[in-house]
Amino acid sequence: MIKGNVVQWADNEKAEVLMIALSKAFLSLGLVFILTWPQNVFAQTSQQDSEQTAQLLTAFLNAGRVVIERNQSLINDPVKADKGFTPEVFERLVLDEFFQQTHIDLNHPPSSLPSLTIDLVRMLLLASKEVVADAQLVINQRGIGYKNFIPATFGSQAARKFSKRSKVTMKQTTLDPRNLKNAPDAYEETVLKRLAKEPAPSRPIVKWIDGGRLLRAVMPLYYSEDCLTCHGNPKGILDISGYPREGAQVGELAGAISIQIPSDHR
Amino acid sequence: MRVCAIRRFHGSLLLAGLCILLQGCGLVYDAVELIHPLTRDELTTICTRGRVRVGISVEPFRPFVFPAVYTDEGIRVTGLDIELIREVADALTAHCGGPTPIVPTLHVTRFPDLFLKMAEGQLDLFVSSVSGTVPGARPAGLWFSPPYFHEDGVAAIIQKPEVAERVWQQFRKQNGKLDTLAAVQEGFAGLTIAVQKGRSSHLYAQANLKRIRMVMCDSLPASIETKDQNIDVILTNHSILEYVTKRVWQDWRLLTHIDGSPLILTHEDLSIVTSDGHKRLQWFLNNLLFRLEESGRLKHMRRRWVEAEYAPTRRATTEGLPLEVTQVPQHYDQGQCRPVGGQ
Repeated sequence: MIKGNVVQWADNEKAEVLMIALSKAFLSLGLVFILTWPQNVFAQTSQQDSEQTAQLLTAFLNAGRVVIERNQSLINDPVKADKGFTPEVFERLVLDEFFQQTHIDLNHPPSSLPSLTIDLVRMLLLASKEVVADAQLVINQRGIGYKNFIPATFGSQAARKFSKRSKVTMKQTTLDPRNLKNAPDAYEETVLKRLAKEPAPSRPIVKWIDGGRLLRAVMPLYYSEDCLTCHGNPKGILDISGYPREGAQVGELAGAISIQIPSDHR
Repeated sequence: MRVCAIRRFHGSLLLAGLCILLQGCGLVYDAVELIHPLTRDELTTICTRGRVRVGISVEPFRPFVFPAVYTDEGIRVTGLDIELIREVADALTAHCGGPTPIVPTLHVTRFPDLFLKMAEGQLDLFVSSVSGTVPGARPAGLWFSPPYFHEDGVAAIIQKPEVAERVWQQFRKQNGKLDTLAAVQEGFAGLTIAVQKGRSSHLYAQANLKRIRMVMCDSLPASIETKDQNIDVILTNHSILEYVTKRVWQDWRLLTHIDGSPLILTHEDLSIVTSDGHKRLQWFLNNLLFRLEESGRLKHMRRRWVEAEYAPTRRATTEGLPLEVTQVPQHYDQGQCRPVGGQ
C-alpha cells in the first residue's frame, strides 16, 4: 500500500516536472514572440518612414531649385535694385511647388505623415529660407546682371546648412562636378553611372547599408532646356560663370540629390 | 576724554588715508588706461583679435574688386585687391605665429566713407585701388603705402568718335611737341565729363579742366548708366577702363593717341591705406610690398587680373573672400550723377 502510494507520488512528481518544463518552454517562446514580433514590425515601419523622409527631403530641395530657376530673370535683372525676392516670397513659392510635386501641404500636413519627417522637411525649409536671406545682398545689387545665385549654388548651401543641423546628410553630386566638393563618393558614383544608362525612375533609388544602419537615397536630376544655357553646347566653350560647357542634351542625367539617413536619426 | 580724542584722530587719519588711496587707485587706473593702447600696438591687437579689419569699396572697380557673387560657399568677392588682402592676411598669420590664421574681415563701404571709417579707427587698413600720388589724394592722418600697382593713370572713355577727333586735332596742332594736358584742355572744352566723387579722376578734372561741364557720379556704373546727363567722356583709372571696355561695356571705348597707344592724362600708383599712427603696421606693409615686388608676385598678380582671360565668378568660387555681412550697406545702389555747379 505504502509502496503503491510511493509509486503514485513519484509519477505525480514526474508529471508535475514535465508540466513545469513545458510551461517554461511555452512562456519562453511566448516571450520571444512577444518581444521580437513588434520589433520587426517597428523596424519595418521605421525603415519605411526613413525612406519616405528621404523621398520628401529630396523633393523639397528640388522644389527649391525649381523656384530659383524660374526666378533667374528677376534675380539677374540689372536695372531693378530691390527685387522683392524675399525669404517669405520664396517660402510661399517653394511650398506651392512642393505641393505640386507631392500633394502635401506642409502648413497642414496629413496625419499619416510621421512627425519626424515633417520636422525634417520644415528644417530644410528653414535652411533654404536662410540661404535666400543671406543672398539678398547679391540679389538686390543694381547694375549687376548675372549673380551666380542659381539652382546649383542655392542647393549646395541649403543642403549644407540643413546637414549641419540634423543627423541627415544631404548633398548635390554629379559624375563630373564643377566644384570638387560635390564629387560623388563610391556609392554615389556607382548609382550615377547606372542611372546615366537607365530610364528616369519615378522615385529616389534607396538602399540600406551597414547592416541596415544607414539609408542611402539618390534622386536623379535631369537637364531641362533652361540648364543648357550653361551646360549645353558648344561643348568646352566657357559659360557665363567661367566653366566649360558640358555639351549636355535635354533629358540627360545632370546629377543627383544624395541623402544619408542613419537608422538612429531620431 | 583724551582717549576719545585720540581715537577720533586715528579714525579721521584712517578715513583720510583710505580716501587718498581710493583716489590713487582711480588715478593709477586712468594712467593704465591711457598707457594701455600705447603698450599694445596695432599689430599685436590684430594678432590678439585674430582678425584684420579691411575696408573695400562697395562700388565695384573691376578688375580690382568685382561685384559680389553667390557661390557654393556663400557670398564671395574677388579681384586683384582681394588677392592682395589675402597676401596681407597670410603675412600677418606668419607674423603672429598663432595656431589659427588671421582672418581678413571685409568691411564693404562706400568709397568716400572708407576714409571716414579709417579715421574713426573702425578699420585697420583699406585696399580699394586708391592713388596716393595724385595731388590732393592724401587726407591728413592717413598713410599711403608704397605702390602695389605701378604706372596706372587717369584715362578717358568715349562713345562718339568726334570726341576723339577733337582731341587728335589738338595733338596735330602741336606739331610733334607733345602736350597732353593742353590737348585735353582744348579738346574737352565745352564737353560733359563724368568723374567719380573723391577719386583721382575728380581731383584731376577739378584742378585741370576748367572749361568743361563736370558731372559728379557716385560710381563708375552710375556714369555709364545715367542717360539724362548726355555724358561725352568718363574719366577714371586706365586699368579699370581698359578692362570694362573689353568685357563689360563694349559700346564705350578708350580714348587713345592718334597712333592708338594709350592716352594717359596723368600717372598714378595705387596704394594700401592705413592710419598715420600705425607705425608698426606701416613698416609691416612696407616690407611686405617690397618682398612681393622683388619676388615678382605683384607682376604676376597684375598679369592674372589685368591681362589674362578668366571668369571672375569662377575665381570668386575658388579664391574669393566672404563679406562681413553686418558691414555691408543694406541695398547696394550704384548711385546717381549730378552736375557740379560753377563748372
